[in-house]
Amino acid sequence: MIAATLILLLALPPLVWVAAMFDRIGAGRGTVVMGPLQNGAALVLRPNTETEAPDRLNRLLAPGWYLALALVGLSVVPLAEDVVASEISTGLVLWGACEALTVVVVFLHGWSPNAPLPLIGAYRYVAIALPAMLLSMFVLIGAALPAQSLSVVEVVEAQREIWNVIRQPLGLPLFMALGLAITLRGPFDYADGAELAGGTSAEESGPALALWHFARAAMLVAFSAMAATAFLGGYLGPVLPGPAWLLLKTLAVMAATVAAGRFFVRMPPARMLTFLWVVLLPLSFASLALVGVEVLP
Amino acid sequence: MTDALFLALSTLAIWSGWRVFRVDSMVRASFQLMVSFIAVGLIAVLLAAPYIGIATIFMMAVEMMVMALFMVMFMMNPAGLNPMVMVHQHRFSIAAGIIAFAGLTAAVLLSDLPVQRVPEGVDVVRNLGHELLGPSMLIFETAGVTLLATMIGAVVLSAHSGRYGASDTGSLPPGLTPGGEPAGRKPENGGHHHHGGH
Repeated sequence: MIAATLILLLALPPLVWVAAMFDRIGAGRGTVVMGPLQNGAALVLRPNTETEAPDRLNRLLAPGWYLALALVGLSVVPLAEDVVASEISTGLVLWGACEALTVVVVFLHGWSPNAPLPLIGAYRYVAIALPAMLLSMFVLIGAALPAQSLSVVEVVEAQREIWNVIRQPLGLPLFMALGLAITLRGPFDYADGAELAGGTSAEESGPALALWHFARAAMLVAFSAMAATAFLGGYLGPVLPGPAWLLLKTLAVMAATVAAGRFFVRMPPARMLTFLWVVLLPLSFASLALVGVEVLP
Repeated sequence: MTDALFLALSTLAIWSGWRVFRVDSMVRASFQLMVSFIAVGLIAVLLAAPYIGIATIFMMAVEMMVMALFMVMFMMNPAGLNPMVMVHQHRFSIAAGIIAFAGLTAAVLLSDLPVQRVPEGVDVVRNLGHELLGPSMLIFETAGVTLLATMIGAVVLSAHSGRYGASDTGSLPPGLTPGGEPAGRKPENGGHHHHGGH
C-alpha cells in the first residue's frame, strides 16, 4: 500500500508532463517537449494577481484541492495484482465522490475571485458537468455489474476473460464525456474556455495558475488510468508486466481524450444541456440495462 | 488514533455546521454545510461503513452544489459573493435549536443502543442491497418516484419553454370557449411578484 502510494507520487509528475506534451502536439503553442516546463517555470516566477474583495481562502485552496482530488481518484487504481494505494471495497464510489467534488472545486475556483468572467465560467460549468458526472456513474455501475463488486480490484479481475470495452461498447465513449468534463477540455470546457478569456482562470496568474494547469493535467492522468482500468482491463495483458500494460493503456486513453477534445466542437451551453439530458443520459441508461441483461444468469 | 480522528472530525462537523449560520453568503453557507456532511461521512468510514460514508460525501457534494446554484439563482443576491443576512426569526430559531439539540442528545444518551461489533470482512454493500431491495423496497421506491416526479414538475413549471408557449411571449392557456378568456388563475395586481424568503 505504501509502495503503491510512493510509485503513484513518483509517476505522476512525468505523466503530467506527457499529458502537457499531448496537449501541445499540433496546437502551435511552443515546443512540444520543453514547452510545458518553460511555461511552468515562467508562470512560477510571475506574481499572483489580486482581485477586488475575493474569497481568499477558496481562491488559494482551489488548485490544491483539484490536485488532491486527482490523487485520491488515482489511488483506487490497482497498479498490478494486489498492488493498490487505497485498498477499499468501494473504490468506484470513492472515484465518484472525487468527480462530484471536482465540480465543486472548479466552481469555487471561478466563484472566489469575485470577477465576472470567472463567475460565468463557473456557473455554466456546473450546469454541464453535473449531468456529465451523473451519466458517468451509470456507466461505472455498468462496469461494476460483471464483477458484482464496487471494488476496482474486482472490476479488473472480472475482465480476465473479456474486457469491458467489448462487453459494453457504449461504456468507454460515454465515460470519455466525463473525462472531457472533469479535465475542462474541448467540447466540455465551459469553465476555462478561450471565449471567456480563460473563464475560471481569467484572473489567475503566477504559481496559482501553474498549479491549476498541473492539477488539470493530473486529473487527465487519473481519468485515463481509471478508464483504462474500468474498461480496458487495467494491468491485465500478455507478455509484458502488469504496470507496463496499465501505463500503455493509460497513455492510449490520454491520447484519445486529448484528440476527442480537439475533434469535437463545443456547443452553446443550452444545446449541450439538452444533448446531455436527452441523448447521452438515456444512452447510459440503455448501456446499463444491456449490461444487466448480459450478466443475468 | 481512531479516537483522535473521531474527535477531530466531530469538531469539524459541528464547527462548520455552526458556520453555516454565521457566514454572509449562500455559496459559503452551502459549502460549509457540505464540509460538515463530509466530516460526518468520514466518521461513517471510521465506523467501518465505507459505502455509506463515501456515498454520503458523493451525494452531499452534488446536492450542495445544486443547492448553491439554485439558491443564488432564485435569491436577490447575484453571484453569492455580496454580503447578506442569512438568518431570520432569531428568537424562534434559537428556541427551536436548543429544544432540538436537547431532544436529540437525550434520545442518544437515554435510548438503549445495540452494541454489535461488525466483523472486518462483512459485505456491507451486499447487506445494504438486500435491505434496500428486500423489506424496505416499497418505501424507497415510493420515495424515489415521488422525488423524481417532483423534480420533473419543478423543471416543467420553471422552464422557459412553458406548456402554452415560451414565457416571454405570454404563455397563456387557451380559453375555455373558442376565443374566450384564458383559463386558469389570474395574476393579482397585474403580475406583481412576491419576493419570498429563503
